[in-house]
Order: sequence, then structure tokens, then C-alpha cells
Amino acid sequence: MILARLALRNLLRQRRRTALTLMVVVAGFLALSLAGGFMAQTFQGLSDAAIRGGLGHLQVLPAGNLDGDEAQSLERSLPDGESLAARLRQDPAVAEVLPRIQFMGLLSSGPRSVAFLGTAVDPVREPRFMACLDAVKNGATAPGGAGSHWLSTDASAREVILGAGLARSLGASVGSSLTLMSTTKDGALNALDVEVVGLQDLGLKELNDRVLTVSLATASQLLDAGPARSRLSIVLRHPGDTAREQARLQALLPGTALKPWFELASFYRQVKLLYVAIFGFMGLVLFLVVLLATANTLLMSVMERIREFGVLRAMGLQPGQLLSLLQWEGAFLGLMGSALGLTATLLLRAGLNALHLQMPAPPGTSHGYELDIHFVPLVYLAVALGLQATLQVSALFPGLKAARLRIVEALRHV
Amino acid sequence: MLELRDITRAYELGGERAGVFGVSIEVPKGCLAVIAGPSGSGKTTLLQVAGLLDPPDEGEVRLHGEPVSRLPERARCDLRLRRLGFVFQAFNLVPVLSALENTMLPLQLQGLAEPEARRRAEAALDRVGLADRRHHRPGQLSGGQQQRVAIARALAPDPLLVLADEPTASLDHAHGGPLMDLMADLARERGTAFLVASHDPAVIARADRVFRLADGRLAEAP
Repeated sequence: MILARLALRNLLRQRRRTALTLMVVVAGFLALSLAGGFMAQTFQGLSDAAIRGGLGHLQVLPAGNLDGDEAQSLERSLPDGESLAARLRQDPAVAEVLPRIQFMGLLSSGPRSVAFLGTAVDPVREPRFMACLDAVKNGATAPGGAGSHWLSTDASAREVILGAGLARSLGASVGSSLTLMSTTKDGALNALDVEVVGLQDLGLKELNDRVLTVSLATASQLLDAGPARSRLSIVLRHPGDTAREQARLQALLPGTALKPWFELASFYRQVKLLYVAIFGFMGLVLFLVVLLATANTLLMSVMERIREFGVLRAMGLQPGQLLSLLQWEGAFLGLMGSALGLTATLLLRAGLNALHLQMPAPPGTSHGYELDIHFVPLVYLAVALGLQATLQVSALFPGLKAARLRIVEALRHV
Repeated sequence: MLELRDITRAYELGGERAGVFGVSIEVPKGCLAVIAGPSGSGKTTLLQVAGLLDPPDEGEVRLHGEPVSRLPERARCDLRLRRLGFVFQAFNLVPVLSALENTMLPLQLQGLAEPEARRRAEAALDRVGLADRRHHRPGQLSGGQQQRVAIARALAPDPLLVLADEPTASLDHAHGGPLMDLMADLARERGTAFLVASHDPAVIARADRVFRLADGRLAEAP
């Protein structure tokens, strides 16, 4: 403990220099932990969007891999999807099961026809768990979107909600009559007249230009689907149990493929990889800056104390103990820097969040979002441990230099 | 107690060979011995070899009859910590520690528990007349007081031998004389041997033995 006490006193000896070194450590902590909080917000937003955008926590799909076209038709489907959904709803871990039909076809407005990607949903169950109403609310601000509302619960109603871009390309608005054309389950061409009841904005331009939503009843009639469903989205009562429930439920559903949302949300995975790469590189650079700055400071401190080290060695201090002394100094710098960095992070995070700053729309999305840097203790711990390791490494070279001093030369040092 | 047998330690200085050559001395228990000689005569070199700070090129250092100069660095460190004490010309106290903490330092490095180290350090400071200054940092003490703290630090672990390099060189006569009296008293009452490198006549006058060096060689038999 004497070495620890000596190390602490040494740091307090040159207060200004110690303060400058601490500022480097604090700046590193601040940048990394705020970036971590921002990443957490982004990942949370993306995962929410994926789950509440229709994936749910788990998806029941037909067994085997589906290629692009198969995923958008009933060619390969869950033949008795409705019964399966009813059975799954009895499971205590399941909060809701949302059957869906994915289909594609042409949407006509008189002389103009545009290809679409359609999703048929349960108009009663879907809004309870998914963000479909939010999308319609956002779509209401699009040209022709005034009066947008959700699909009727009346099974005989033939209604459609269009992506804002799709409506624009057809010159359609709320109240327009359009014709849906697609192939039935058996491959025959079929058409159905529908009324536009709403526009939706899903946040991604490519989706808004192509998607439409109808009720399961409307899609069943158009596609002659009967009880067949493309997929079932399962909403779990405890989302944290997704992996465990996947394994358990898969055993109960032979002949199907049960997949968690993160395997299906390719956009989420890509953005996450990109962010991890960008912020990982930034983190490495910051750690390097901290390493060089603190190593320089500690080396200066060693150079100023060469005679003192000579005296300590003459008194019987082992070379390894001098190395330990410098390691203690690095450890205290790391601990103090992390403590101050955490305080600064929490204060700055609170300040930035209180400003309600609007972030620009991310690439490929149509609207921005409010900055809300998350509180992520695990990130703070990882940053603190990373900085601590950096400080120990930065103390290594000066420590080795001190440990290798020849005593008689150190005692002569002026 | 301390024997230096035919010690040679040479180095290049300004293109010439300097150091000590074939020096043999013996310092018994409780003896205040002085290595005297002009600057560059090899006093400090001999003291560093005797203090196991620098291995000799030739010859042997013996402590209590045991050859110690060829021991591995770790063992020599341990011997310095437990058996030897050092006093330097420039005091060389650790500036961030108080007089008491400086005196406790070698004891704590030996692994003594803090209360025991404190008790022994306080006794050592009391013996050199600085009990009332124990909480002062070196910067708050006069040169004479700092050197007394250095002596207390050297003596606190109860060493066999204290090596002092020009201990009075940074002090005026009013402080140098009493400091040497203190060393002579300590040598007598504790049986600790002192080997002092100095060219100060006041130091030489208080010595039990004087080894005179000239150009690295013993000029006069003790």
C-alpha cells in the first residue's frame, strides 16, 4: 500500500499536469460514452421499428428458405395459418399472434398501373401491437393524405392504405377508387376494386413508393387464400426471452421455421454493423490519443524524478516495485479520469437531451428524430475498463524506463 | 563487519581511466570510518561499491564475512533494504512525504505493519531531535533538519552499516559539526558502522578510522 500512497502523492505533486492528463482521459471517456449512448438510441429505434413494423419478436414461416418471389406470394405458405395462430395464442408466453399475407401485383388507377408489394393484416389485432397507426398518422401529412384512417373492422369492407409515394405515383388520395390485380393461390389472375382510406409513411422512401396494406379479408378474396397465411408474427410477453422462446416454440411447431426478428431485420443488422465499425474505429483512435498523451505525461514525470528513483532503488526498492509504482500512478489516473468522465457524461447527456435536438433523417429514411442519448451502464463500464487498460499500458514504458535505471547514474542525475 | 578486498572499479572520464584500483579496507561494528580525499579521488565510487549500488570490476565486498558483491540484483536489493542505510549529500528525501513518512518508508518497504513502522520511525526521529517536526514535509525543513531526517530514515531499519556520501557538504559548519557528533554517538550507542565519504576536516576529525584516497588508490594505511 505504501507504493499506492506514494503514487497518489506523486500525482498530486504536479497538480496542473495531472489535471491536464485527466482532461485527456475525461474527454476520451466523454466521447466514447456519449457515442455509446447515441448508438444505443439508434439500435433501440431500429429494433423497435423492426419489431413494431410487423416482424414481431418471432416469425413463423413455412419451412425452408424463401426466395424473393416466394416471400411475396402464397406459393409457399402456412396452409392453415389461422388455426396455428389460434393455437399459439393459448401459449402463456405469447401476448399476441398476428397472421399476415404477403402478396404482390399491380395497382390501377384508370390508365396508370404501378407494381406494389402488399401486406394483409388483421385490422383489429394489428394496431394493438404494431406501429401501423403511427404510419397512417405520418401519412396524413402527405399530399392527399388528409382524412387518413385505419382499415375498417368490417370484413366486407374493401379498403386499402397506400404508401405515400405509391399514392403519389398514381395520383391517388384518400377516397380514390383503385383496382388491385394479383394472382390467386392457384395461379389465376384476379382483380378487386378497393377504396383508399389512408396513406402511410413507413419512414423509408423505397417502401413508401411500393407498399400497400389491406385487411386479411380483402386479401383472402383477391388471392382466394382461405386459411392460408404467409407468416405469423408472434409478440412475446417478455421480449428478453426471445431466444429461449424461439427454441421452445419451434419444438411445438414442426414443419415450420421460427425465426427471431433480428435474423429477418437485415436493415437493422447492416446499420448495426456500420455503426460498430465507425464507432469502433473512432474508439481505437481515441484510445490511441489517450495512450500517447498519458504515456508522454508519465514519461515526463519519470524524467523529473530520476534521482528520486535512484534513491529509492538505493534504499532497496526492487525494479519491479518501481514498475508497480508507475502502474499505480496509471491506475489512479484511470480511476480519477473515469469517475470524472462519468460525471461529465451524465451531466452532458442530461443537457443534450433537455435541448430536444432534432437529428437529420438517416440515409434512406424520410424523417428525422429527436436526439435521446441513452443511459447505458454497460457502455460506461466498458469505456472505463478500456481506459484503465490504456492507462496501465501507457504507464508500462515509463515504468520500464524507471526500473532499468542504473542506480549510480540516477543518483548523479541533475 | 564490512570488508572491501582489493576492489577495482574503473570507468572512463574525459578520455582517462578513473575510479578506484585495488583498494582494501575494513570497517568494524560501531566504527565511524571516513573515506577522505580530494574531488575525483574515488570516494563516491568506493562508497557505491561498498553500498552494493555498483558491482566492482574486481575484488570482493564482504558483509559479516559473507561475500555479497556478486549476488544477483534482487538479493543485493534485499540486503540494501534490510542491512544498509544511505545518507546523501543532497538529503534526497521524497518531497511528497512528511519527515515521519520518509522515515517509515524503508520499514514499510520491508513489509512492516504501519503501526510498528510508525513506532520505530518516531523513535528514530526522536533520537535525531526532530520529534516535533515529524509532520513537516522536506520543503518545510532546513538543510540540517533534512539531513537529520535522512539519518533517521537510514537508521530506522536498524542496519548494520550506514553509508554517507558527503553528508555535510550541503550544510554550514554550525550544522555539519553537530550532525557528525550525532553520527559518532549513534555508532557508539547502537553499534552501527558508518562509512562516510568526505573531504570535510570536521568530519575527518570525528572519525574512528580514516582511509585516504588519491587517484583511486589508498594513500595511507588505516
